[in-house]
Amino acid sequence: MTANSKISTRSEPPRGAITRLAFHLAYKNLMGAGLRTWLSVGILSFVFVLIIFYQGYVEGFYQNSIDENIAWEYGGGQLLYKDYDPYDAFTLQDGHGKIPATDTKDLVPILIRQASIYPQGRLMPVLVKGIEVAQNTVKLPTQLLQQSSAEYPVIIGKRMAASVNLKKGDQVMLRWRDKNGSFDAGNVTIAGIFDTDVPNVDIGQIWMPLKKLWAMTDMKGQATLFIANNNYEQKNLPKWKFKTQDELLTGIRALEKMDKITGVIIYLVLLAIAMLAVFDTQVLSIFRRQQEIGTYISLGMTRKQVLGLFTAEGCMHSILGVLVGFIYGVPIFIYFTRQGIGTPAAVDNLGISAGKRIFPDFSPELIIGTAVLIIVSTTIVSFLPARKIAKMNPVDALKGKLQ
Amino acid sequence: MENKNIISIEHVTKRYPVGDGEFTALSDINLQFKKGEFSGLVGPSGSGKTTLLNIMGSLDSPTEGKAIVMGRNVAELSHKESAQLRNLHIGFVFQIYNLLPVYTVFENVEFALLLQNINASRRKKMVMDALEWVGLQDMADKKPSKISGGEGQRVAIARAMVKRPEIVLADEPTANLDAKNAHTIMKTMRQLNKELNTTFLFSTHDEKVMGYLNRMIHLEDGKVRKDEPIEKPQYA
Ligand SMILES: Nc1ncnc2c1ncn2[C@@H]1O[C@H](COP(=O)(O)OP(=O)(O)OP(=O)(O)O)[C@@H](O)[C@H]1O
Ligand SMILES: [Mg+2]
Repeated sequence: MTANSKISTRSEPPRGAITRLAFHLAYKNLMGAGLRTWLSVGILSFVFVLIIFYQGYVEGFYQNSIDENIAWEYGGGQLLYKDYDPYDAFTLQDGHGKIPATDTKDLVPILIRQASIYPQGRLMPVLVKGIEVAQNTVKLPTQLLQQSSAEYPVIIGKRMAASVNLKKGDQVMLRWRDKNGSFDAGNVTIAGIFDTDVPNVDIGQIWMPLKKLWAMTDMKGQATLFIANNNYEQKNLPKWKFKTQDELLTGIRALEKMDKITGVIIYLVLLAIAMLAVFDTQVLSIFRRQQEIGTYISLGMTRKQVLGLFTAEGCMHSILGVLVGFIYGVPIFIYFTRQGIGTPAAVDNLGISAGKRIFPDFSPELIIGTAVLIIVSTTIVSFLPARKIAKMNPVDALKGKLQ
Repeated sequence: MENKNIISIEHVTKRYPVGDGEFTALSDINLQFKKGEFSGLVGPSGSGKTTLLNIMGSLDSPTEGKAIVMGRNVAELSHKESAQLRNLHIGFVFQIYNLLPVYTVFENVEFALLLQNINASRRKKMVMDALEWVGLQDMADKKPSKISGGEGQRVAIARAMVKRPEIVLADEPTANLDAKNAHTIMKTMRQLNKELNTTFLFSTHDEKVMGYLNRMIHLEDGKVRKDEPIEKPQYA
């Protein structure tokens, strides 16, 4: 009989196998732990779905807003007369100039004048926008102006129509000044009412053929701005400044950023609540399961491995949370991506271009990014209390004597 | 053939800090164990039995002196080395079984093997063999909550034995069992001791356990009072 059997070192399983073991055990432990686990998993899945939903909605909302603004107002950029500032109504009076003789092929000219209309006898200041009728750069239905046989055909947006109570075919008195400041008046005919998500081309304005407006104001050949189409090549025209599509969209993008930051704050709060639940579960389970920890050590796990096991267990909450979130979230995402989400009427009056239905944009980046965020933060939060295990005395753990 | 000791306790003292002073749980213990022994530490509560077993199992380290297990001083082992020592060479059996409640009987027994590089089919064979030794091969798929105390302790024995360790340290393994179950598990362990030549070391107050021992070490106040070989154990 040889009594001096040497201490053999175990041939260790590859690192991946230990990690797999940790996750396997973590999964078993979680499944065995019941209600508390599902509470954390439920909270995590809810946070997961909510973050994606909110960000996807904001994304869809602003994507729609950007698309619509391009389609109705910005085109491929705008060429503005140097003295015209779209944010300053006082510049309208003199902020116009002669249309350059050349290089206007891909540009739709617009002349803006201030005037008043008198619906049911009330005075209402409006902007009259003369636009080249033969255009298809923006979605404004200028062909209706072209087709109309009225003396002064105009088109207005549905918001404007509602606020002044005008229907197609109605007439309303318009009073304007010519270039010398003399007043003139006439009845304009509503040749059409258009439906747009862009209040900027709707509220407080009426659109008419550019040539009519030239004649009415004696301002032939003048324009306040041009809308460029996508073929437009930027040229250096004195007295005119070009704003690219991106420059025009900075305002909307800034709003989008703000909304996304608001979203981040909301979901950091939600995430913090979820993390608190995970942290709490973890602290409790390390306290309650000392004997189990001691048993693992007595069976030959290193404390680091036990620490890994408990961390994996905490992390598993979030993996399950993400999976559960997928199970009920994906159908919700698909449904709303297809059906869209109705916008409350109130939003329409805020001056933002809100679509009637917003089609949220749940990109894979958003979904994967959110999953990673939740899993990483849960893992960190699970690791923190579990570090205690690395310092545990296995004898005390086996006796369940730690506090 | 050299007959070196599998465990050698040399001048081991264990002191615990209590309040301002110290409490001496073990005081200058010297003991040697040979491979294949079936011996026990006996003595009143608080005499230091568990403390000594834990030191031999490298779960604890002595304040003074050396505990040499399989040729290595346990105090000098790294975390990893002492984990390996427990994983491969030492099986523990506890008074309260310490089965992992979410795992089946099979998985409880399999656990230590998962930490080694052993493939699934071989693991399965080893686990089923171990369950057969304790007569529980039919309970492999049960959860610990669904088996009796005696069966639970037999699972714990299978778990300690599955890796065929050189040493099994059993701390009051019968304390929660009735007489019949106590005899069953003691017979099982005696059998394994004979068949596999595993060294068993018990800590006990139980007369029934003492009836199986080949050697009894009496501890009192952390000191060895008597170390007696037993030529003819009562039940062996
Ligand atoms: N961590 C500790 N701190 C302080 N004293 C301790 C500690 N662990 C054990 N002791 C003391 O050491 C002494 C020996 O304890 P040990 O558990 O080894 O006794 P035992 O012989 O196993 O007793 P029992 O038969 O009750 O299990 C006891 O008096 C105990 O109170
Ligand atoms: Mg004890």
